Amino acid sequence: MTAPTVSVAKPPAAGTGVLRVVVTKVLTAIVVLFFVATAAFFLVRLSGDPVKLILAPDASAAQEATLRAGLGLDRPLLTQYLDYLGGLPRLHFGNSLVYDQPVSEVLLARVPATLELAAAALVIALLLAIPAGAFAALRRGRAGDSGVMAGVLIGQSTPAFWVGIVLILIFAVQLQVLPASGYGGFTHLILPAVTLAVYSVAVIARLLRSSMIDVLGSDYIRTARAKGLSTGGIVVSHGMRNAALPVVTVIGLEVGTLLGGAILTERVFSWPGIGRLTVEAIQNRDFPLVQASVLFFAATFVVVNLLVDLSYTVLDPRVRVTS
Amino acid sequence: MAPPRSRLTRRDALRLGGLALPALALPGLLAGCDSASGSVGSVLRVAQTSDPKTLDPQKQGDLTSMNVLINLFDTLTTRGPDNQLAPGLALSWTSPDPLTWRFKLRPGVRFHNGEPCDAKAVAFSINRLLDPATKSPIVELRYVKQAVIVDELTVDLRCSQPDPIIPAKVSLFGGVAVPPGYLKQVGSAGFAKHPVGTGPFTFVEFQRDHQMRMRANPGYWGGRPSFDELVFLPMPDPSSALASLQSNEVDIVASLTPDAALQIQGYTGVSIRNYPGIRTSYLSLDTTAGPLRDVRVRQALNHAVDVPLLIKAVLDGKAREVPTMFPRESFGFDPSITPYSRDVGLAKRLLADAGFPNGFDTSLTAQTGDSNIAEVISGLLAKAGVRARVDLVDTGTYTSRLTSNNRSALGPIYLAASTGWTLDAESLVQSNVRHDRRQSRWSSPAADRLIDAEELTVDPAGRQRAFTALQSLLKQEAPFVFLYQIDNIYAVNTRPRWQPGVVGVLGMAQAQVTS
Repeated sequence: MTAPTVSVAKPPAAGTGVLRVVVTKVLTAIVVLFFVATAAFFLVRLSGDPVKLILAPDASAAQEATLRAGLGLDRPLLTQYLDYLGGLPRLHFGNSLVYDQPVSEVLLARVPATLELAAAALVIALLLAIPAGAFAALRRGRAGDSGVMAGVLIGQSTPAFWVGIVLILIFAVQLQVLPASGYGGFTHLILPAVTLAVYSVAVIARLLRSSMIDVLGSDYIRTARAKGLSTGGIVVSHGMRNAALPVVTVIGLEVGTLLGGAILTERVFSWPGIGRLTVEAIQNRDFPLVQASVLFFAATFVVVNLLVDLSYTVLDPRVRVTS
Repeated sequence: MAPPRSRLTRRDALRLGGLALPALALPGLLAGCDSASGSVGSVLRVAQTSDPKTLDPQKQGDLTSMNVLINLFDTLTTRGPDNQLAPGLALSWTSPDPLTWRFKLRPGVRFHNGEPCDAKAVAFSINRLLDPATKSPIVELRYVKQAVIVDELTVDLRCSQPDPIIPAKVSLFGGVAVPPGYLKQVGSAGFAKHPVGTGPFTFVEFQRDHQMRMRANPGYWGGRPSFDELVFLPMPDPSSALASLQSNEVDIVASLTPDAALQIQGYTGVSIRNYPGIRTSYLSLDTTAGPLRDVRVRQALNHAVDVPLLIKAVLDGKAREVPTMFPRESFGFDPSITPYSRDVGLAKRLLADAGFPNGFDTSLTAQTGDSNIAEVISGLLAKAGVRARVDLVDTGTYTSRLTSNNRSALGPIYLAASTGWTLDAESLVQSNVRHDRRQSRWSSPAADRLIDAEELTVDPAGRQRAFTALQSLLKQEAPFVFLYQIDNIYAVNTRPRWQPGVVGVLGMAQAQVTS
């Protein structure tokens, strides 16, 4: 997975520039996904034999052989690989070995829950982190800054599953105002989303603070101050926009973190998402399901990176014109 | 199988109450409201670690799946409250010849879609299971060649070799009846999406990793369940499952470990219930290599591992010591055979006699989930001078090594456990005692003869004699270190009344719910 960097936006010619960037990016993405698909296929097969896990330990060797043939796992590895690659362009991922159901169905049923959780967490993270970071930057070195930074440090160094359990104990068990787990209405979303957001709040707030401090010390802010603009006006119209660039990069990375962090959070809150599904698929050695979920995660990263890259051209005119 | 009288009256009272309730409870439930909020009405909510793998009962072979599916489907035989084999879809069974088991079916049973459950349906079900195209992971019917219709309500299971415990094997996996007409109409995939059985509950909705909902079947042959809706919730994390119990989102949390159960002690409104269980743990010893070839060394290990102490210290007392590896409730268990005395001094003397006055180094392999128990066993062995390094492996690796052709793949000593749900001692030894079995690491012609006698004889008295002799031999030769059978542990709130059987299956037809 490639991390987004500012330099990847190649100097495009005016007009067709954005399109060319997109085309290059999409082609790169396809190559990346091909390698991910191949790696997933071979790595998951190194982990062992799913038939042993599906059958009871007292199954006979003949019973194992029958099931293995039934699942198509007795075919040569190359045949299985080519079959799998052939299905990818049509989004055919085969049948889950354990659930005996098309993988695409199993996976798609779970995607909304994970996206919902990640999106809610991201919104919470931004709503908390942007004011906190800006506030700390403006109060640099003073008590307010120290306070925010201390809170942020705690948030960043606390494991998500622990935050989750503490939140459950307070809001579900003691106060009984929110459900402890499960999936359903808006109330079910609050605790897992907050749990998931805690780490991201910390990362984004810290970065915004330092980025903002840089910006506030620059010439054009001094000029703006000299023109007599209010602090609030300067922060909103000049500071934020210029401080946003590195923050956008990090938010892109955070989407990955949120999807990854969802694995633990989904378990603690019994959230029916893709993270929990993937962990179980790995434990069950459900080859087709592992392959498809790994591809899903990879595709999400690739798409987010692409969006981050494109957003530079909007946020920072210099990325567009430099050559 | 009429329930006791007192229960009937209580159920009737609840049923009357139930008539007043639906107006309040059902509309919300039908609209798919959160099961966690608002009125729970006459609903029973059960949490266990995971979902059924599939809703097609012939395409799964694990107890977690069966726990849910047993509420939708019936089996030919079942287990009564006394854990004895009782009529299910079959009213009676006989063995007219050693290779045949004949089942007389209960008349008038219908599937949830109205289809009759007769000999045609039962024979179809068994034959579907046996068909390699079904890819069924159920292994119990390995000696059944085919099911044959004798008359409208009689089915024969024809075997390739005698199998005395077929009636026990069809009390769960393998004994499920599926509807042939419906399957023909919707196909296997459609059936797994919307299962139709003969059971006490009918299918409503399944959202994987979220919930499985069922409704009481008013036409159930065993009588309509006393509550309206049954919901299974998959909760992999015991802490959050217990939190859900405390915040009144579930009524029963099943399959808890003793240490998880301790978390909930002292909270009001919730309690821990433990019932006798049959999951039996033992250490398998590789008698083909190293010090463990000597019977005195194997006996020394049995004297050294202080099982009562282990149960008290690590399992919070929620287990029972077993003399050999047969659970007390299984057919074949002989109470006259007593556990090893726990005596470190004797263990050391036996080791010295065998030529190991300073003990020896070895290893003990266990699954990661059993790390506590493995560490404590290692500590107990160390007291007698046997220094066993604990090797932990994940479940997948463990299972692969267990069933591999290399019988030493899990090292000289490994910790194993087995749930012999057929309640027949055969289940505990079938794969690891006769010298030619997949997991056997012991060669004893006497044991082989006894295994043949108990596996191929249909007469119970003859089988019991073989089992008794086998237990004496197992204790004497000690190819295993015999440990304990662990309790089934549940955390419950004040609403449900339910008594699980020793197998621990979550069949809820007889449960009652108070609001």
